[in-house]
Amino acid sequence: MRNLSRGLWLGVGAVLLIVLGWWAWDRFRPYAFHGTVLQSAEPAFDFELQSADGPVRLSDFRGKVVLLYFGYTFCPDVCPTTLFEVQRTMELLGDDADQVQLIMISVDPARDTPERLKEYVQYFHPSFIGVTGSEDAIAEVATHYGIYYQKHEGTPATGYLVDHTATITVIDRKGYVKLVFPYGTPAEDMAADLAYLIRH
Amino acid sequence: MRRSMRKFLLLGIAGLLVGALAACAKAQGPHIVVEDAWGRPSPKVATAGAFYMTLRNTGNEDDALIGAESDACGTVELHESFKTPEGAMGMRPVEGGKIVIPAGETVELKMGGLHIMCIDKQVDFTPGTKVQLTLHFEKSGDMPIEVEIRQPK
Repeated sequence: MRNLSRGLWLGVGAVLLIVLGWWAWDRFRPYAFHGTVLQSAEPAFDFELQSADGPVRLSDFRGKVVLLYFGYTFCPDVCPTTLFEVQRTMELLGDDADQVQLIMISVDPARDTPERLKEYVQYFHPSFIGVTGSEDAIAEVATHYGIYYQKHEGTPATGYLVDHTATITVIDRKGYVKLVFPYGTPAEDMAADLAYLIRH
Repeated sequence: MRRSMRKFLLLGIAGLLVGALAACAKAQGPHIVVEDAWGRPSPKVATAGAFYMTLRNTGNEDDALIGAESDACGTVELHESFKTPEGAMGMRPVEGGKIVIPAGETVELKMGGLHIMCIDKQVDFTPGTKVQLTLHFEKSGDMPIEVEIRQPK
């Protein structure tokens, strides 16, 4: 009988220790990002491109977390898949969503007008902004962000198609490139990373 | 009692035989089953849309999807998204102009992969819209289906 109660106490003690240990680990471990973390020596390249509502500069959004996505409106599969995940991310963020600004930069300036881009991105979320510019201006921005894009021949019906890096570049509130979300990153992962960046 | 049991048994065997014969006759050639056909909602300015579905070939012969048409689209083409050697995402018409569905196998048309591309959309793709689409198969011929416009699951 005495042995039994001693065993019981030992068991309870062990469980308490495990719970406490797990809590402490969870509380004090460094946050592990889901996206690829980048350490930038300099602030992100400050571009100025055109939206349907006037010029847009990256620096307009200092204090917010900015998501840069390079795509084009003719793209029926990859771009909507990504933008829909960001839409879900915004829903998951709840009230924090207004601390996040998505900007889609067109890699097809010849076909994407600012008005077209506006209608396209706002279909996914009313806060999303679409911008375009001259071929040279787009190329300059893409180069600064390490984005590859290349036109290639499509079919008579599609016209040319554009291969493009389908990642999302995350710029922190101070204006530094902080994270890259690869194509296919789930909304839950993006929301967790962005919530952390908003708070820290 | 015994005689009636034997009668039942004989009837049962005959029934099984007929069933097996019917199954054999039916299983000759390809047999395509289309499941969960859906399309993503998209704004009017997005001139192209994509349809996704699961194609199952429950027959014993290969078949291939060679095209499709719909009043909701100016042109319909079979495309696939792929990762380029540079690590970017690209899109191209499917190789050989067809999507092969081998006997007994399932081919998924899904986001970021194979898809039916609806070019020059004629209607708004709002959630709840039903799009009539006719699939053209190499051996099974034409198959009309209904595509539901909805958000991805």
